[in-house]
Amino acid sequence: MIYTKKSPALLIIGILMLVWGYLNNSGGVDGMQSWLQQSAYSDHMKVKEKFDAELRVATEMAAAESKPAPDMKMPASKFDQAKAEQAKLSYIIGGIFAALGLLIMVWTPKEGNLDYYLGVIPGTAFIVGIAFVVRWGLDPIFGNWGKAAKPTLGWDFAHIFNLNYVVLGIVIGIIVVNIFSIPGWAANGVRTARFFLKTGVILLGVLYSAAELAQLGGLSVIMIGIFVLGSVGMVLFMGRRMNAGNSMTGILSAGVGVCGVSAAVAAAPVVQAKAVEIAYTIGTILVWGVGCMFLFPTIGHMLGMGPVQFGAWAGTGILNSAQVAGAALAFDPNGIETLKVAEIFNITRVLFLPIIVVWLAAWYVKHEEGAQKVDLKQVLIAKFPVFVLGFLGMFALSSMGVFAPAGHYQGKYFSSEQTKEDQWLKGKETRAIDGELKRLQEPAGGQALKEYFTAKAVNIGQRHATSDDAYKAMQNLIDSKKMMTREQDAVLNAVAKMAGLDPVAKGALEKASKAAWHNSKIIGAFRNWIAWLFAIGLTGLGMQITAKALKQAGGKPLIIGGIVGTVKAVGSLIVVLLFVKEFV
Amino acid sequence: MSEQKFERGTSLSIFAADRREDLGALIAALLIALGVLFVIGK
Repeated sequence: MIYTKKSPALLIIGILMLVWGYLNNSGGVDGMQSWLQQSAYSDHMKVKEKFDAELRVATEMAAAESKPAPDMKMPASKFDQAKAEQAKLSYIIGGIFAALGLLIMVWTPKEGNLDYYLGVIPGTAFIVGIAFVVRWGLDPIFGNWGKAAKPTLGWDFAHIFNLNYVVLGIVIGIIVVNIFSIPGWAANGVRTARFFLKTGVILLGVLYSAAELAQLGGLSVIMIGIFVLGSVGMVLFMGRRMNAGNSMTGILSAGVGVCGVSAAVAAAPVVQAKAVEIAYTIGTILVWGVGCMFLFPTIGHMLGMGPVQFGAWAGTGILNSAQVAGAALAFDPNGIETLKVAEIFNITRVLFLPIIVVWLAAWYVKHEEGAQKVDLKQVLIAKFPVFVLGFLGMFALSSMGVFAPAGHYQGKYFSSEQTKEDQWLKGKETRAIDGELKRLQEPAGGQALKEYFTAKAVNIGQRHATSDDAYKAMQNLIDSKKMMTREQDAVLNAVAKMAGLDPVAKGALEKASKAAWHNSKIIGAFRNWIAWLFAIGLTGLGMQITAKALKQAGGKPLIIGGIVGTVKAVGSLIVVLLFVKEFV
Repeated sequence: MSEQKFERGTSLSIFAADRREDLGALIAALLIALGVLFVIGK
């Protein structure tokens, strides 16, 4: 079979990307970009205004001293950086696609590895191209529409329905496969979607540190343990009651309980499942997961959940690894904090697979008369997902400080030393804080502060902060004009949120905190890679959700999976709301 | 997904087995990690 289709599609995609890169570089699409990226453009105008004023003063001073006009360059704004990134990516990716597209046009394919892997590129370019359009085009368009409709509707529909690049990518994928169908030249390469997702999950390990896991690990193990074992047991019970068949019930319990498609595939040989049962289980998981992926973020926003709470809920309640990532990114597309927490829970759940496999084997042998004995050790060695080991390997490397110093893994890190002098507090600001300090030291203010800190339960080290900590932190800030420690930052962040605080003092506390936190370039780069890998993978994932797969989810598996999935989702939501706090 | 049949890989992956796909993803992730470390530095 020849896989490389002689089509100009790849060359055209490559050229279009190169043109987009050129237009960004030359300023040819500045008008469109200023509308798409309104927030970055507003920052750009501020930077430009400041620069123009500085240039005018410098030019006038030079003229007064009869010197030539100074050669000043405007610093890059967020808008400039965004355009430069789009141009760079478009040039690199477009260049590669155009070159390979040209090769496809002139080369006569022969059966073999070169034909097979070259035949994969046009389909990969197809999903990458759609991911580019979605992330750089549709995402900001829907964001702008949501904001524009807010005064009329009273709410931002794009935010509430999570119409960001993750959801839009999957929706576009579903539309392409079900309405237009995937073009013949792209069919081979679209199958790379899962590969991109797995690569993204492995790289996600870079964003964890052992210290973070120590905070979340115990909680995730207990929560996941209860819900995984509970939902597996519930499916096994219901499957027997509804006569769904032992192998169908067994594979469905692994899929619903553990980690979706991978678990279903891993458990299939254990319960000797037929191909059609694997298909039914996967169909059920995908349909249920798609529903959750749209519903979870909306409920999360409606309940005002924070990133840790939502991550814990999505990682526990959603069945499929990719859909956990989809929901987490849909809820919090820029921060990735939610995704990190969700993946910790998700990976913890995957680690339950060996236990479930052992349980299922014992259950199946007990209930299936004449079932052949299954070699559990062999099944585990053969089926355990290696990408999970990759994730753990990256986590181990990052915990050893290979990628970034400890404390940088949140993407932002605290450093008093690196706080620039022009960002230190000015006299007016320290006086405002001093005024508030005096007010809070008086009996009425002191009582209010004491009650506030008791209710807030701000953690510093192994204890809760008190009003005395707040006094010390405020005095220290007045003396040093910048934040000195993370504990001081945590305490003063809480003070800044107190009702009735003087606006100047509140602004000064927020400014001092913002100035002490710095972006980690390397973690930012890893986050960007992960976001792209997920964007591309999830666009391809959408292309796997056909009407046929949706129909396959019908019948008993959907009823059992739906009931158990709902109980798990609602149960984990209640547990998360009651016990999970925002401590990361 | 397309109804097209493939002689290599499966209908959902270009790799014949999950283990191969996992290893491919592992290599890709390592290359990206090394690239980021090399270009940006610690």
